[in-house]
Amino acid sequence: MVRVRKTRAEIEGRWREEFVVEEEEKISPWPAEASFRYIGGRVKTVDGVAKVTGSATYTVDVSLKGMLVGKFLRCPYPHARILRIDTSDAERMKGVRGVFTFLNVPKIPWYGGLTNILSDVLRFQGEEVAFVVAEDEGVAEDAVEAITVEYERLPFVVDPVEAMREDAPKVHPDGNIFAGGPSKISRGSIEQGFGEADVVLEETFRTSAVLHNSLETHSAVAHWTSIGLTVWESTQAINNIRQRLSQIFSIPLSMVRVVCEYMGGGFGAKFDPGRHTILAALASRMTGRPVKVYLSRTEENLAAGCRAQSIQRVKAGFKRDGRITAMRLEAIINLGAYAEWVPLVGGPYRMLYQIPNLETVEWGVFTNTTPHTAMRAPGFTEGTFGLESIMDMAAEELGIDPLEIRLRNYAEVEPESGVRYTSKALRDAYLIGAREFGWEQARSVRKENGKVRAAGLASVVWWGGGGPPAYAEVKLNMDGTIQVLTSTQDIGTGTRTVLAQIVAEELSVPIERVRVVIGDTSLELFSPGSGGSGTLASMGPAVRAAAIDARNQLLDIASQFLDAPPEILELRDGRIETKEGEKSIRLEDLLRQLRDFAIVGRGARGPNPDGYAVETFAAQFAEVEVDVETGAVRVLRVTSAHDSGRIINKLTAEGQVIGGVVQGLGFALLEQRAVDPASGSIINPNLFDYLLPTSFEAPEIMPVFVEPLDTRANTLGAKGLGEPPIIGVAAAIANAVSRAIDLRITQLPITPQTILEAVKKAKK
Amino acid sequence: MYPRKFSYVAPNRVEEVLTLLRKYRDEAKLLAGGHSLLPMMKLRIIGPRLVIDLKNLRDRLAYIRDGARVVRIGALTTHADIELSRTLMRDIPLLPETARWIGDMQVRNMGTVGGSLAHSDPAGDWPVAMLALDASVTIQGARKRTIPLSRFLKGPFTTALKPTEILTEIVVPKPPKGHGWSWKKFERRAGDFATVNVAAIVVPDGRGRVKNVSIAIGSVNPTPYRAVNAERILRGKRPDAGLLDKAAEMAAEKAQPSSDLRGSAEYKKWLTRVMVRRALEEALSRAGITLEMTQHA
Ligand SMILES: Cc1cc2nc3c(=O)[nH]c(=O)nc-3n(C[C@H](O)[C@H](O)[C@H](O)COP(=O)(O)OP(=O)(O)OC[C@H]3O[C@@H](n4cnc5c(N)ncnc54)[C@H](O)[C@@H]3O)c2cc1C
Repeated sequence: MVRVRKTRAEIEGRWREEFVVEEEEKISPWPAEASFRYIGGRVKTVDGVAKVTGSATYTVDVSLKGMLVGKFLRCPYPHARILRIDTSDAERMKGVRGVFTFLNVPKIPWYGGLTNILSDVLRFQGEEVAFVVAEDEGVAEDAVEAITVEYERLPFVVDPVEAMREDAPKVHPDGNIFAGGPSKISRGSIEQGFGEADVVLEETFRTSAVLHNSLETHSAVAHWTSIGLTVWESTQAINNIRQRLSQIFSIPLSMVRVVCEYMGGGFGAKFDPGRHTILAALASRMTGRPVKVYLSRTEENLAAGCRAQSIQRVKAGFKRDGRITAMRLEAIINLGAYAEWVPLVGGPYRMLYQIPNLETVEWGVFTNTTPHTAMRAPGFTEGTFGLESIMDMAAEELGIDPLEIRLRNYAEVEPESGVRYTSKALRDAYLIGAREFGWEQARSVRKENGKVRAAGLASVVWWGGGGPPAYAEVKLNMDGTIQVLTSTQDIGTGTRTVLAQIVAEELSVPIERVRVVIGDTSLELFSPGSGGSGTLASMGPAVRAAAIDARNQLLDIASQFLDAPPEILELRDGRIETKEGEKSIRLEDLLRQLRDFAIVGRGARGPNPDGYAVETFAAQFAEVEVDVETGAVRVLRVTSAHDSGRIINKLTAEGQVIGGVVQGLGFALLEQRAVDPASGSIINPNLFDYLLPTSFEAPEIMPVFVEPLDTRANTLGAKGLGEPPIIGVAAAIANAVSRAIDLRITQLPITPQTILEAVKKAKK
Repeated sequence: MYPRKFSYVAPNRVEEVLTLLRKYRDEAKLLAGGHSLLPMMKLRIIGPRLVIDLKNLRDRLAYIRDGARVVRIGALTTHADIELSRTLMRDIPLLPETARWIGDMQVRNMGTVGGSLAHSDPAGDWPVAMLALDASVTIQGARKRTIPLSRFLKGPFTTALKPTEILTEIVVPKPPKGHGWSWKKFERRAGDFATVNVAAIVVPDGRGRVKNVSIAIGSVNPTPYRAVNAERILRGKRPDAGLLDKAAEMAAEKAQPSSDLRGSAEYKKWLTRVMVRRALEEALSRAGITLEMTQHA
C-alpha cells in the first residue's frame, strides 16, 4: 500500500513541510562492512569526456531555427527614476524585432513584489531598464546603445550602516530594514552568562560582498509555441523554474518544460528564473520565435547576485578553562536593493558549539547595490569567520590551544533543539585532521628570510541532509543497457556519476552500461533543486530504491526463465545466477527475450528521521606565509577534514573540497565587490579588477574524509559536501595570519595593505 | 560583447599601412596582439571605423636580431618570443624575465612588445624594463625616426606616435657582460597588472663597486620613471644596507601613485621602496657585489 506522510525538509536553512509518498518496502541502509565495487571508489566522471570535448550541451550551445538574441539596457546609476525613454531609433533599426520597457511589458511582480519585471524606478547599478530582441547579438547591442533615457537621479545609499540611519535615503518606501526589524533568537540568559564569565571579549568583524563567478553566466533560451513554453536555462533547479514560469504566465505545469542538460556552475545564484528568462519568454510569445539571452561577465557581476556583505559585532564570555558561558552576535547584513530572505549569519553561532546562553540579532538592510542571492553556504561562510575568530582570540587570551578550546565546547547534541544527530564525527575530523596536517609542529610561529609562517584552524557546521520529495526510475532496456531517469540536474558536482555508481552497484553491472538521463522536467520525476548540499542525499536514496525495485522485478522474471525461486537468485557481474551458480543467464539475454517490455523500477526518497538532526561537519587547517614588509600572504597548504557521512565517490568529493577551499581562499584574501562611495558605482564588475584566485594562489590541499556510519540519515548513509569545504577556510586563514603577525585580523579580504596597516597601528 | 561595426584590412606591406593611416588618421586603429585593443572595442570604450591588422607583417616586423652592441626587436615580436629567446637570455636576461610575468600564457602568445609600448599603460611591464635598459624606438611615418623611449612615453596611454605613424622596432643596448639585473613585479594575484614594477641594472667596476646603475619604476606615476637621484648616490660606491635603504627611499620619493583597488597612495609608496630595495639587492648580488658590512646593518 502507498502511504502518505508529512515531513520537514530544509534547503540552506529554510524549512518547508512536504508530503512524501512512502515506499511499500523499507530499504535498509548499506551496512558498515559492505564491500562495494563502485561505492566509495575513485570513479571517473561519466560525462567528463563529453565536457572536455565540447559535445556536452550548455544553454548557450542551444541553437534553434529562427532564433533571436536578446540584450538588456542597464541602469548606470545606483538609484534613479526614468523620466523619459525613447526607443524609436532602436525599433527602426534593421534586424530589431522588439523593444521592451516598463511601458509595454505586463506588470509582473519581481523580487517578491518589491518591484516589477521592468520598472521606471531603478535601485541598483546594472538593474534592467529595457530589453531588445534582434536577429543577432551585434544588432541587439547596437539597438541597446540607440535607446535614449532621461533619468532623474535619486539619493542613494550603498553602506548598510548608513542605510540603517533614520535620515538615510530610502531604497524602498517602507524603509531600509528588512521586515521592519531584526530577527532575534535567544536561549538561556546572556546577562547571567556574561556574569559567570572570567573573560569577556568583544570585537567587530567585517566580510565583503563577493561574487559567484560561475564559469557559465546566466542564460536562457525560450521558445513559446502552441503546445506551450520550453525554456533551456542554466539553472540548479529546473522544477522550481518550471513552477515559477507556470505561476507567472498562468499556464498549467504541463505546458511548461524546462531543460538544463549541462551547466557551468551556479553556487546558489541559479535557483530561480531571472528577468532574462521572463523577457525571453515574453519576446518569444510576441515574435513566435525562439529567443536566447546570455549575460556578459559585466552584466553577471553587476546584476546576478552576490554573497551579502556582513558586519558582525560579537561579545563572548568564557570560563578560564575555555568553556563559553555566553555569546551575543549583532549582525548587519547588506541585502542589496531587493531580497526575499536574509542569509543566516547567526547560523554557526547557534549551531556549532554548546553555548548555554546565546543571543543572535540579525538585521537585513537594503542598500542601492546588487541584490544578494544564495552563495555556497550563505550566511555560514560569513558567520564562521566571526565566530571562529573570537574562539581563537579566547584561546590566545586564556593560553589554551585553539584545537583544545574547540573540543571543550563540543556540542554532543544539536544545541538549538537538543535533539541527537544522526551522526556526528566532528571530533574525529578535528583529531584526524590535526594529525594529517601536523598541527603540533605547524602551530608554532616560525620566521624565515623575513617571512613569517603560522597555522590556524576553523570548524564547520552545515546542513546537507537533503530530503524528499525526490523520485527516480531505473529502466532496464532490451539491449542490456540501463537508464536512470530523474528530473534532477547536475550543478557541476558529478550528479550523473554518483547516480550511475549507485545503480551499477545495486544491479551489479559495469558502470559503462548505465546512462543517467537528467536535466529535463518532461521526465516528470520531481526532484529538488541542486543546492544546500542536498542533491546526493536527496536523489541517491530515490535512485537506489528504484534500482532495487528494478532488481526485484528482474529476479521475479528471471526465476520464471530459470525455473528457480527468486530468493536463491543473485545478480553478479551482469548475470543472474542461482546462489551455487548452477543456473545462470546473462542480463542482456534475458532482457532481449522480453523484447519491448522494459523493466521499470520506481523509487522515492523517504522522509528524514523524526527527532534527529542531520548535519555535516568539518575541521579546516591552514598554513600561511606572510611577507611582513609587503603584506603579501601566501597560503601554503590546507587540510580539510570532513564528516559528510559515507563518501560515494572519492574523486568527485575531493573535487568539491578543492574547489571549496580555493573559493574560500578568494573570500579570505582577494575577492571584494568594490563600490565607490561617492558615486555609488561598482568599480570592478569584471574579472580584470575583481580578483579570483588562480592555480598559482591555490595551496596544497589535502582532503580528509572521516566517514562515520550513518544508518539513520538516509539509505546511503551519505550527507552533503557541496558547501562545507568553503565555510571555514577564511576563518582558518585569518587565524593563521593573525598568529603570524601577532595581531587580530577582523576584516575580509585580508589585503596586503590591511596587514601593513594593522602592523603599523600596533606599533603606535 | 560585440564591438561597434568596423571595417577590417590586413595589408601585406608597411607602405600600405601608412597610406591607410594617412587617409583615416584617428579613425583607424592598428591591431597587433589585440590584447589591449580588442577588450576596449568589445566594451565599446572605443569604436574605430577601420581596424588595420598587422598580422601579415609578422615576417618583417617580428624578430630578435643580435648586433654587436644592441639587440633589435621587431615591434610585432610577442612576449612569448622574448621569454624564450636564447639571445636575450644570454645577453639581456632582464627581458625574458619581464616577459615571464606578463598576464598568462594566452596573453604572452598574442601580445606584442610594440603594442605594449604603443599602448603606454602606466602599469605596463615593457615600458619599465625598456626604460631601465635605455632602449630607443624606431617609428615609421612619412619619414623614419629613432627616439629614446623616455621621449616616446608621454603619459598614460599617450606616446610620441602620430596617428599617421607606426612603431617598427625597439633598439636595446646590451648591458656589459657580468652586469647584474633584477625584475620585481608586485602583483596582487598571478597574471594581474603590477601594483608596482621595478627594473634594475647594475654594472660592476670589477673592484666590488658600482660602476653604473639604472632603476626604472612603473605603475606609481602617469608614466614609468628613472630614479636618477638614487642612481647617482650609488654610482662609484660599494653600498651598505643603509645606503640601499636611502636609495630606495629616494627612488620612492618621486612616486605619486593614486589610491585605487591596488591600495592607497601611501601603501603603494611604501611598496615602491620595498621593491626598489629588493631589486637593488638582487641586481647587486648578480653583479657580484657584496654589501659593505656596517654596525647598524
Ligand atoms: C588578461 C590580460 C593580462 C595582461 N597582463 C599584463 C601584464 O601583466 N603586464 C603587461 O605589461 N601587460 C599586460 N597585458 C597587456 C598585454 O601585454 C597587451 O598585449 C599589450 O599591452 C598590448 O599589446 P598588443 O600587441 O596586444 O597590442 P594591441 O592590443 O593590438 O594594441 C594596443 C594599442 O597599441 C597600438 N599598436 C599596436 N601595435 C602598434 C605598432 N606597431 N605601432 C603603433 N601602434 C601600435 C594599437 O593600435 C592599440 O592602440 C595584459 C592583457 C590581458 C588581456
